[in-house]
Amino acid sequence: MGRTAFCFPGQLQEKPTLKEDHPLRSDPHFKEYVERASHQTTFDLLNFSCRGEEAGFNLKLQIATYLLSMIHFYRLRAEGWVPDIIAEHSMGIYAALAASEAITFEEGLWITESVGRILEREGASSGGAMASIVGLPLGEVKKIRQELNGFHLSIANYNGSMHFVLSGEEKGVEKALDLALSRKALSATRLTFNIGLHSPSLSVLNGEILSLLKEIEVRSLKCPVLNHWTIRPLRQEEIKDFLSQEIGQPVYWDQCVEKLIQEGVDQFIEVGHGTTLTKLIRWINREVEAFSAGDRAKD
Amino acid sequence: MAEVNNELIEKLKQLIITRLKLADLTPDMIETDAPLFGEGLGLDSIDALELVLGLEKEFGVVIPDAEVGRKVFQSVRTMAQYVLDQKEGF
Repeated sequence: MGRTAFCFPGQLQEKPTLKEDHPLRSDPHFKEYVERASHQTTFDLLNFSCRGEEAGFNLKLQIATYLLSMIHFYRLRAEGWVPDIIAEHSMGIYAALAASEAITFEEGLWITESVGRILEREGASSGGAMASIVGLPLGEVKKIRQELNGFHLSIANYNGSMHFVLSGEEKGVEKALDLALSRKALSATRLTFNIGLHSPSLSVLNGEILSLLKEIEVRSLKCPVLNHWTIRPLRQEEIKDFLSQEIGQPVYWDQCVEKLIQEGVDQFIEVGHGTTLTKLIRWINREVEAFSAGDRAKD
Repeated sequence: MAEVNNELIEKLKQLIITRLKLADLTPDMIETDAPLFGEGLGLDSIDALELVLGLEKEFGVVIPDAEVGRKVFQSVRTMAQYVLDQKEGF
């Protein structure tokens, strides 16, 4: 019998819509965790605001992404779903760790907000941007990087054989978008980030994030978490170092999926509001089953 | 210019369902003239990539760049017209 992976997605790219008649809103887990998050952070999911506190669009998206992932996780668990392994993409790591019980719901939320505020501050002072390029193979994306005339961009996400994210200086990202379209990309779009996430320039934040994490006690993992950078299950003792370093390192999502399939996973459940990971998995391997808990919750 | 017929429309709707693994949908649930992206079926660029591959495999037609893609993937009808136009060109 095959194995099941819970997959926690990275930051949503648009404000989640939860209309009044959305079935999720009447779910007891939704009510409980929205209230707990609001109590701890002032974040009001339904109004997508922080009750008068200053919070940028990306920070609100990061908290919303974490919160919705955790709500879907608790719903899945209550329905009897048990993962054999957990995978994560980018900032999905915080919810992945909370789901594995290495940290609590509150600690995951606190890390999401705290790191989010650091990124917000760094973005405001140093700038940066990210671009999603769909429809070009890796070789073409590498050529784009070579044609940037002095700008340096990193490949931040390896999402599949024809889907990459570039990250770095804003002007370089703008140039990369033009180059990608001239090289016949199917789509080249700027992401919402105002910082070059998963590029080496963010390594300057390692010490600050590590220091922040001193307040957290990481417990043993109840379920293995395959990390997006070294494609290995995280050990309890390396989690803080990983969290402090991963924002300056790439996300190898394609390799994560392939590794999981090698390990016998044939059912992937995206534990979040959207369907991005589900679609990426579909592109990487059409034979496995993949669905999004958030997508199913709409019915 | 050749006229789009129901058979081709049906085949394209089936292609969308199969390539995108939309098991809950049947062809008659997809409106021929509704937008495929955004408000309509809600497809995105990863879906578009699947459809590009599907059109190439099933119909032998190529979407060469983003500009053509935007025009072709407006609706099932625009996809059908593009398939016919490309076939006529041979």
